[in-house]
Parts: sequence; C-alpha cells; structure tokens
Amino acid sequence: MSDDLTIILTAGLVATAAGLLGPFLVLRRVALMSDAVSHAVLPGIVAVYLLFETRAPLPVIVGAAVFAVVCVIGIDLLRSTRLVASDAAIALVFPALFALGVLGVTEFASGAHLDLDATIYGEIAFAPFDVWAFGSVEVARSIVLLGAVVLANATLVALLWKELKATTFDPEFSRTIGISPTLLSRLLLIAVAVTAVTAFESVGAILVVTMLIVPAAAAYLLCDRLLAMIAVTLGIGWLSAVLGHTVALRADASIAGSMGLVAACCFVLALVLSPKYGLLARALQRRRRRREVRAALAEAHAAR
Amino acid sequence: MGWLIDLLPLNYSDAVVAIGAALLGIAAGALGVFAVLRQRSLVGDALAHAALPGVCVAFLATGAKDATTLLVGAALAGLVGALLMVGIERTSRVRPDAAIGVVLSSFFSLGIVLLTHIASTNDANQAGLDTYLFGQAAGLLERDLDVMAVLAVVALAVVALAFRPLKTTLFDPAFAGAVGLPVRLLEIFMTMLLVVAVVIGLRTVGAILMVAMLVVPAVAARQLCNRLSLLIPLAALIGAAVGVAGALIAARAEVPTGPVIVLVGFAVVLATVLLAPGRGVLWRGRKLARDRRRALVEGVLVDLETTIHAGPPPTPRELALASGRPRRQVARALSALDRAGMLARDGERIHLTESGAAAAHAVLERRDLWSAWLEHGWKLRLPDAREPDPTDLRASLGDDCADELRRLALAGDGGGAAGDAGQGAR
Amino acid sequence: MSAHQDGGPPTAGRGAGDRAPALEIRRMTVSYGARPVLWDVDASFPAGRLSAIVGPNGAGKSTLLKAALGLIPADAGQTLVEGRPVGAARDRVAYVPQRDAVDWDFPITVREVVEMGRYAPTGWFRRVPRRDAALVDDCLERVGMGDFRGRQIGQLSGGQRQRVFIARALAQQAPLLLMDEPFSGVDARTEASILELLAALRDEGRSIVVVHHDLGTVRGAFDHALLLNVRAVAEGPVAEVVTRETLARAYGAGADAVGRDAGEALSWAG
Repeated sequence: MSDDLTIILTAGLVATAAGLLGPFLVLRRVALMSDAVSHAVLPGIVAVYLLFETRAPLPVIVGAAVFAVVCVIGIDLLRSTRLVASDAAIALVFPALFALGVLGVTEFASGAHLDLDATIYGEIAFAPFDVWAFGSVEVARSIVLLGAVVLANATLVALLWKELKATTFDPEFSRTIGISPTLLSRLLLIAVAVTAVTAFESVGAILVVTMLIVPAAAAYLLCDRLLAMIAVTLGIGWLSAVLGHTVALRADASIAGSMGLVAACCFVLALVLSPKYGLLARALQRRRRRREVRAALAEAHAAR
Repeated sequence: MGWLIDLLPLNYSDAVVAIGAALLGIAAGALGVFAVLRQRSLVGDALAHAALPGVCVAFLATGAKDATTLLVGAALAGLVGALLMVGIERTSRVRPDAAIGVVLSSFFSLGIVLLTHIASTNDANQAGLDTYLFGQAAGLLERDLDVMAVLAVVALAVVALAFRPLKTTLFDPAFAGAVGLPVRLLEIFMTMLLVVAVVIGLRTVGAILMVAMLVVPAVAARQLCNRLSLLIPLAALIGAAVGVAGALIAARAEVPTGPVIVLVGFAVVLATVLLAPGRGVLWRGRKLARDRRRALVEGVLVDLETTIHAGPPPTPRELALASGRPRRQVARALSALDRAGMLARDGERIHLTESGAAAAHAVLERRDLWSAWLEHGWKLRLPDAREPDPTDLRASLGDDCADELRRLALAGDGGGAAGDAGQGAR
Repeated sequence: MSAHQDGGPPTAGRGAGDRAPALEIRRMTVSYGARPVLWDVDASFPAGRLSAIVGPNGAGKSTLLKAALGLIPADAGQTLVEGRPVGAARDRVAYVPQRDAVDWDFPITVREVVEMGRYAPTGWFRRVPRRDAALVDDCLERVGMGDFRGRQIGQLSGGQRQRVFIARALAQQAPLLLMDEPFSGVDARTEASILELLAALRDEGRSIVVVHHDLGTVRGAFDHALLLNVRAVAEGPVAEVVTRETLARAYGAGADAVGRDAGEALSWAG
C-alpha cells in the first residue's frame, strides 16, 4: 500500500468513525462535548504510561476511555446541581482534567516517549510508518485500529438507531416508552471518547474534533432526514480527506490542517448555497415573496 | 512593574509569574462573567484556538516575533472568529454549540497549515510560535507584564464605564432594544472584551486552560452573590487569588504554572458549589432532609391525632396501617415525637401528651389556613406583593390576613378537608 | 355517551359492565423546593371517556400528568393504570408531550415520527417490523395527515404537528391517551376538528385525558373533568365540575380580584 493511500484511508476512516456520531452530537446540541472529551482523556493516557509503562494502543484506549467517562459523568453531576449551566460545566471539567494530564506528562514522563506533542498532535503523516504484520501482509496500525472503531460505531448506530433517534428528537416521549435518554447519551459520549482516543494517536486531536463537528454541521444545513444527514456527513468527511491530502501535497502544508480547512470550506459552501437553508436561497426567497406581495397589493389597489 | 516585583518576597522570575497570573485572573474573572451569564462559556475555547492563525499571520506580515505584534494578531483573529460565530448563529439554523465548534476547528486547522507553511519557508525565527497555545508562564518577561496590565486595566475600565447598558443587554436584550440601546453592537463589544481576556491568557496558561480561567471565577462568584455589580469585582478578586495561589504553588513545587492555576480554580469552584450558603449542594441537602423530616413528623403527628379522635389509641403498627406509611418511617417519626415529649405510651398503644395534642392542632390549623388560602385567597386584598409561604402562612401573610382567611373559611361551605381540619383545630 | 359497551379488557373485582378507572391517581404530592405544586391530589378518570384536567396557570396540571407517568419525582403518591401500577402498565399508556418540548428542526419526516409509536413494542436493538408499516399509515390517515407523510416535521403548522403527535400515540395502540396542552397555539377551527377526532377515538373505547386551558370548550366537548388548583378542587362529570361555584373556588371570582384568566373562565361557564 502506498504511503499516500494509507494516509487518505486513515483520514477517511477517521471521517467515517466521527461522521457516524457527529450528527447526533450536533442534533443534541452537545457538539462541544467532542472537544471536551478529546482533551479530558489526557490523564488516562498518562496514567496508563505511568502505571504500566506502555503506549500500546489497547491499554491506552482503555485508560483514556475511563477518563472520558469521568469527564462525562463529572459534567452531568455539576449540571445536575442546577447551580452551573451545562456549557459552564463543560468548560470547568475538561480543562481541569487536561491540566491533570499536563502535570502528569511534565512531572513524571518527561524524557520518555510520551511528550505532549505526540499525544495531542499525533501526526497523520507518520501513519504509514507504523505497521502491523499479519503473516506476510503489512498493514498500517492506524488502519487496523480505526477500522475496528468504524466497525464498532457502525454497529452501535445500527443497533441503537431508533433509540438514538427517539431520544435525540423527543427525550420526554422516549422516557415514557422506557428508553432512557441519559443512558443513550452516555453510550454516545463513550463512543465519541473511544473514537477520539483511537484517532488521536494516528491523526492528532484537532482533526478528530473537526471531523466530529464540521461535516455534521454542514450536513445539518443540507438535509431533512437523519439517514441522509449521516450519509452527507460521511461524504463531506471523505471529500475533506481526499481533497485535503491533495492540497497538503501541493502546498507543502500540514495534512490534518488542510483536511480541516477543506471541511471548513464545505461548511461555508453549505451555509451559503444550501438549497433550502442557505443564505442565498433564503435571501432569494425573501425577495421573491416581497415582489409577489407588492404585485398582489398593486393589483388589489388597481381593482378598487 | 519593577517596583511590584521588588516588593514581593519572591525571586525575580516567580514574582513575574505571580503578577502575570494575578493580572490574568483579574481580567479573565471580570470578563468571563459576561460569557458565563450569556451561556457562552465555551466561546473562550474557540477564541483561544482562533488566535493561532492570527499569531501566524502577524508573524508572516511583520517577520518579527514581537510579543505586542503577535498579541494584536491573535486579538484580530479572535475578533473575526467571534463575529463569524455570532453571524453563523444568527443567520442559519446552526446552533451556538456547533457554531463555536465549527469556528474553533476551522481556525485551528488554518493555524496549523500556516504554521507548517512558516516552518517550510525555513525561517529560523519561527520556533516558539506555537508555545502561544501551550502557555509557558515561566517564559514571561517583565515587558509582557506591562502589556497585560494595560489590557487588563482597559478591559476593567470599559466594563465599569459601560456597566449599565451591558447589564441591560445581558439581562433583557428585548428591553434593551426597545429602549434604544444598540444591542448587537453591545454584544459584539462584550465579545471583543472576551477576546482581550483570552489573548492575555494565552501566554500565561495556554489555550485550553484559558477556558477554565474565564469560567472559574464567574461560576465561583455566582455561588456567593446575586448582584451583577458585586459579581464582577468578586469574580476579578477570585480570579486574581486563584492565579496568585496557583502560581505560588507551582513555583514551590516546581511544576508548570498553567495546570496548577486551573486545578486550584477547579477546587475553588467545587468548594463554592458544595458549600455556598443558601445555595450550595450540601446546604440545600441538609435543608431538604430537614424539610422532609419535618413533613414526616408532622404528618404522623396529625395521623395519630385523627386516629385517636376516631377510636382507641393505636399501636405503631396500626398507625402505620391507617396512615398508609411504611412502618419504618412511622417508627422514626414516633421516636422523634417521643424525644420531644409529645407521646405517652400505654404498653404498645400510644397517646398524645398535652403538648403533643397542641402541636398536632397547630399543624392542623396551619394546613387548614393553607386550604383556606387556596380556596379563598383571591378574596383577600393584600397590602403589597407578599407571597404566601405554604409552610407558614401566618408568618408570610401577616396576622390580619390569616385571621381574615379563617373567618372566610368558617363562613364558607365548611365541607371537605378544610372543615375537618377546622374542627380539629378548635 | 355509551362508554360501557365498548371493548378493552374487563377487570376483575368490578361490577358488571364497569371497567376499572383508566387512570387513577392517589395522594399525589409534588413540590419544587419547599413550594408544593401538587398537594395530596386524588383523581380517577373513567375508562372510555374524554376527560379534561383544568385549572388556572400554575395549578399543576402538566405536573400532574408528568408525575403520574414518573417523568418527574413525586414526594408521595401512586398511579394506577387500569388498576395496575403505572410501571407495570407502560404499554397501556400513550403520552403526548407539550409541543415546545420537541426539536422541530430535527431532520425527520412525519412518517418517521409516527413510527416511533411502534418503538416500545418492537423492543431494543430491533428495527420496526414491516408488518407495522400498514398500521403506521393507518394512523396517519386517521388524523388526516396521509398526504404529508414525507414532509420534514418542522414544515407543518401547529395543528398539523399536533395531529402527528396524536397519530404517534395511536400507533402505540394504548387504550389510554394522556395529552399535555394539545391546543395551545392552535387556532379555533383546528381545535374543534381535533376535538372531534378525540371524540371519535373515545367512541371507539379509548380513554383520553387532556390537560386543557380553555374552559370554553370543556363543557361541550368533554365528559369528565378534574378541576385542579394545587389540590383537587372538584372532580366528576363536566356539568357538575364546571360550575360558577367550583370555578370561583379554583380560579377566584370577580375579575377585580384575580384578573383576566378568571374573568374569562366565568364568562364562558355562564
């Protein structure tokens, strides 16, 4: 497999894993939980290194997931006191956990292979160099891991499709039919955490957060059905991966950054050009209606 | 700032860091209040990330790694990001959280691209640009302090001068618009102030931890007071205290400053959320437990009184059965009544003592009065806007009203629960 | 009103031809902080009838429904559905929440919303079975929304949205319908036609309980009413409950004392 292909595939898998969850985050108005969870897992990664002296992906993912759950539950607890609004609760909990992680890194692990840059800014350009051998076939580790996450997320969304849909659309109704919105929300955020952590390692935090929020937000401007929204989200994600890679090669710039920029451009296009909810469409519609009203009024006056 | 540094009983670099943290705490505390009260706490997150491309562009434009230039670049980029956020939210169906997220990731992606571009043009001068995102408080220079002090003072002065319109816009934008305040301009202005705070903080604690610096003082101060005019100075004070405490602890323990400041801040928030008088979780929990217990004891007392009224004194078991309450609850209430000297036991059976009967009647009268309020309250003309407190109507409405209510209740139909209770009270 | 002859499970321990109350609420007490919102409310809504919960603003009408369903914690109280605790009778109740509780921008079609009525019987992890499709379509037709099935839910008017919710409740095939303020923000004509629909459902044997704010329509359209003002002020057949005297007790009489709400109530009750 060529290096370029590996990079594109890795990014595409990140886009897929994130794109399956992102629409639910955007619709539930917790898009920023992805940013929060992505940062809150740092102490988990550090703790695993300190306790077991390993950076092997599985233990790291488990350790990070533990802190993702701590983050989610901490935010829930703070919010449930009704003394702190939910956005403030997010803004309090994740920096605290992140701070814990930074302290851990600088205090205990300095000099080891666990530096902040590698943890937070895993670099997608290095993805092809880290391979696992299966018999005679060598596959990039990131592809294996992310493939597994895509599979897990797809299973989760497929199995809990109607539960996720119902709790997101109408939580109160869901409770009356015995589907707990809290449980679904926790499951979703744990999936976000596992996705984020796994993807971190290979592509860096910012691309994960971008892929979780931006394509879904763009799709939200384009779609009237949930299934379509997820499909469009995935499409935009892959487009960003492929185009972003090309741009990065041409401009000799950061691959993750370029992919993020392409996704951002997609959002801007959707914002302006969406046939139904776009700025342009709505401005035209407004103008047309105004013209119609004026014509109708003129007619009425003439008839009188 | 030199005099202040000399004044502090610290070595030079620790003093610089402590003063920087204090300045940051003051500015972020005062300005964060506006973000938190508008439920845009995470705007700081986006602004901090948006600063990266600003820093890069400023560097590209001037070619110099001068603190002031970079700060200005960061501030301009933050401002653009903030305006975009407001714009996206206003003009489309995208919600605030997603708008913040989109701006955050877009700007940061742009920043990374610019950073790699700068690196690839091979300018030896570029190293250290990205420390703006992590924060290297130990690298603070005395000159940085001057910049921070000026920014902090300007921000505070502006808040003080524009306090009234800001408050009105914050509290009731519709009203503010109706009385002719330029609401949108003020909102943008508030966001600009926020940008200033973030830019100040980037260098001291770094982007992610800056989010906490904005939110911690506001949330902690909010638990302790209810008035905006007090809230802002209090938040500034808490911000400064947290900053200095964090910086000193970090210096003593020889660990990075930013994380320690944030952790100290988080501890302060936890303490206020748990302990704040009248509001805190523990305080409310104790009050709730007390209220529940009181309701239980009063309920059992009344049940006992009515059971005795109707027949022979009951055993605890019979009482539980008659009142439909769990036996353990009844037993607990009975032992409380016993301790208060309200019970007389006759073997298994329980009587009320004189004081017990009086207490039961007092409870019944209170309930009676409340029933009368629900039914006849509308007939009363209250002298002012006082509100009835169901647990003690007499105290909350005044004796005159209570007596009038009793009269109305007796003159009324006299049927239903009110009538029964009325008999008990007589 | 021929409420007794229709279908539904016969319940043991009752007189011949009589069904257990569709919804029975006992000693329901709910408070927010120290302030009681509901105090010791007993209510019993007969099966096969169209019942209204009425009362002034802040009387706890919506709270009563939510507490009965266990959506908010109650300090005390018990709810029986057809004589069984509500927890064991979830499949017998369909709840229509207030419309402002829902995200109308959600990318979902009318038909998908109605299909949610089949989620509970389908169970976790499974897709709604194909054989339910006809039922879902029937429910849509029933409320006159058949032509709108592909629309995004936000593109409907207030009355149409309410119809979709009723269709979803119908799809649940529960004998008891609980509706929270279905007519707020709906014009008079739509309200009348929805009331007609509810009456037809009642005549099929369903029991319907509606939180209602308009005393004007209570008399003509409903069979049974609970007049609520923190406590239960009166309960029974509408003609007995909605009288000048009981309304005065719940709303307060004389426009001078309490204001428009009560004044309107009385002018309607006549």
